[in-house]
Amino acid sequence: MLQIENLTKVYDDGTVALDNVSFEVPDGEFLVVLGLSGAGKSTLLRCINRLIKPTAGRIIWDGEDVTAAKGDELRRIRRHIGMIFQEFNLVERASVLTNVLSGRLGYVNPWLSIFHYFPKEEIDRAMRNLERVGIANLAHKRADELSGGQRQRVGIARALMQEPRLMLADEPVASLDPVLAHSILRYLEQLNREDGITVICSLHFLDLVRRYATHVVGLKDGQVVFQGLPEEITDQRFKEIYGEEAERVTIT
Amino acid sequence: MERKKSPVLSSILSLILPGLGQAYAGALSRGVSFFLGIVLAALLVHWRQAYLLYIGIVIAWLWNVWDAYNLAQEKKLSPTIPFILIALIMYIIGWGVTQIDLERLFTNVADVKPLVTSLIQPAVLERDIEQLVAEVKFESPCSDSPPEKGTPSPDEPYLILVDKTCGDPGDTFTVTGGNFWPSTKGYIWWSNLAGEMQFRVRYQGDFLTFQTDEEGNIPPTTVVVQEPFAEAKGKGPQLYRVQARMQREVGSPHLSQTFFLVVEKMLETIFLALMATTIAIFIAIPISFLAARNLMGGHSVTMFIYYAVRTILNILRSIEPLIMAIIFVVWVGLGPFAGVLALAVHSIAALGKLYSEAVESIDPGPIEAITATGANRIQTVVYAVIPQIVPPYIAFTVYRWDINVRMSTIIGFVGGGGIGFLLQQWIRLLMYEEAGAAVWAIAIVVALMDYASAKVREMIV
Repeated sequence: MLQIENLTKVYDDGTVALDNVSFEVPDGEFLVVLGLSGAGKSTLLRCINRLIKPTAGRIIWDGEDVTAAKGDELRRIRRHIGMIFQEFNLVERASVLTNVLSGRLGYVNPWLSIFHYFPKEEIDRAMRNLERVGIANLAHKRADELSGGQRQRVGIARALMQEPRLMLADEPVASLDPVLAHSILRYLEQLNREDGITVICSLHFLDLVRRYATHVVGLKDGQVVFQGLPEEITDQRFKEIYGEEAERVTIT
Repeated sequence: MERKKSPVLSSILSLILPGLGQAYAGALSRGVSFFLGIVLAALLVHWRQAYLLYIGIVIAWLWNVWDAYNLAQEKKLSPTIPFILIALIMYIIGWGVTQIDLERLFTNVADVKPLVTSLIQPAVLERDIEQLVAEVKFESPCSDSPPEKGTPSPDEPYLILVDKTCGDPGDTFTVTGGNFWPSTKGYIWWSNLAGEMQFRVRYQGDFLTFQTDEEGNIPPTTVVVQEPFAEAKGKGPQLYRVQARMQREVGSPHLSQTFFLVVEKMLETIFLALMATTIAIFIAIPISFLAARNLMGGHSVTMFIYYAVRTILNILRSIEPLIMAIIFVVWVGLGPFAGVLALAVHSIAALGKLYSEAVESIDPGPIEAITATGANRIQTVVYAVIPQIVPPYIAFTVYRWDINVRMSTIIGFVGGGGIGFLLQQWIRLLMYEEAGAAVWAIAIVVALMDYASAKVREMIV
């Protein structure tokens, strides 16, 4: 269970990215965060694994206060929270395998890892995760030789190395074409259903939301404007989240 | 409502002081430009005493009055005319200051000819030299027992005195000889008895020469008795050796001593650049992190360090390596070490800046991703920062080494070691063929380095 209580983030330049946001995410949910660019989706996801330090409010995960964690404790929490990104955030010049192995850095001996040493079982684990996302054959390619869809699958494999109980996905398909978008989201769905990993995913397209989400939170200007089931988002609700000029874009 | 400006007052102000009327009319920066432009131009004209140019300044000044008059009525004129006038004055003065003299380019072509010819024929190849020497002893000043005149030898080259065997400095005497190579030019040498002090005798500025006949005989040649060497001054009569010498080249051409010397010094030059670059890398890498805004931002102490490091780097970079070499030559003495230090300090400043810009331009995405996995700071640097900065670091380093090889070829001009030291000496001694060899070596090595560094950078980036 992830509880977000009165979360507020004000950046140094005065921008209010999150304004008193509260909601709960039960284990095993596929929660989609919906909202315009700049609505605070990315900030929200990054507060959960503390890539961003919130200004006020609390995040409690399985009874542990994430917002108060520091140093080793914070890293221990982080290693159970996988994250994938819109721009994939791979190390472009490193091999696919190295990129995947880097997901395990929170577990392995830090001194050995500095010299790029990983035990045999970790390399096996990396290969298993690459197989799972169907690109084991690309393990020794450089990340910058891969296509967008392949890169995001490397991103998923990297997150899987963390044996996550929670998966954060920051617009994971916004840089991909529609067909690939479905294939990536299906992997997330599979992780959610088969492995019981809680997924919190920010998305743009309502069709994708209706197809994959079990629960939806709508953000507008840093505030929660909708909470409920995907079926409850009517066109009217949609306009409340996206503004009056919004037109629904169909994606199949 | 804005207060109305008086055009008359404005123009009077500009008449008193250029730009003042413009400032009064509200165009401060325009006023400052007029003031600086006209006053500076006037000072320069005064300095060069090119009083004719005052006409231009007067016109510009009047234009500035006219402009002030118009500005007060909110009419803005295009300042093309005064701009061209001031620029013209500057170029006329500049022409004079830099002593441009196109005529000399053509009239003095002959002076540069031997230099250019030598550059085309560098002293890379040479032939062995065979020498013939014969000598006779001469005494100065005279003692009670002057030396013999010498006897002709039937087969060996010989030199004998004809009229005197002793004399005071400034007197003349005659020598003759035989059994030299026929019809060849030779020189007269003068040395002390021990033989370690010697020089070619001059006569009226030129070297004293003789020309043998078909039988190889030296015609009677008049020699002036030379002043005693410093250590023999006031010690009474001394014996001197008077020699006739002849040289010719024999055998086939082979690589010259100059060539090997140039190669040796060129290697020293390349190593000089290598050492300077390497030292600079080790110091510039940690510094570059301190000079990267994205790593140092967010805290006032780190930002202070950032600005301090940046300022020091900027100051160091503005000092030319040649000037730095002069300082280090005084500090650690002549030689390549001074050059290494000078180039290293300059490279630290240059690489520090380039490296830090590479750090500033890295993609924060991977850092975010690695941090999110629960990695610690060092792991994040190793996995997300270093892979991104290694290629630009290598590219900048190779580029810098290329520049350092170039710089190290001339750093010897101020005593910093390397081939520049030789080149500078040869030019001063008018040994243009040797200098030519050095110039060629520099050109070849620099071109190769340039090509190689471009290739390496192409491969990496």
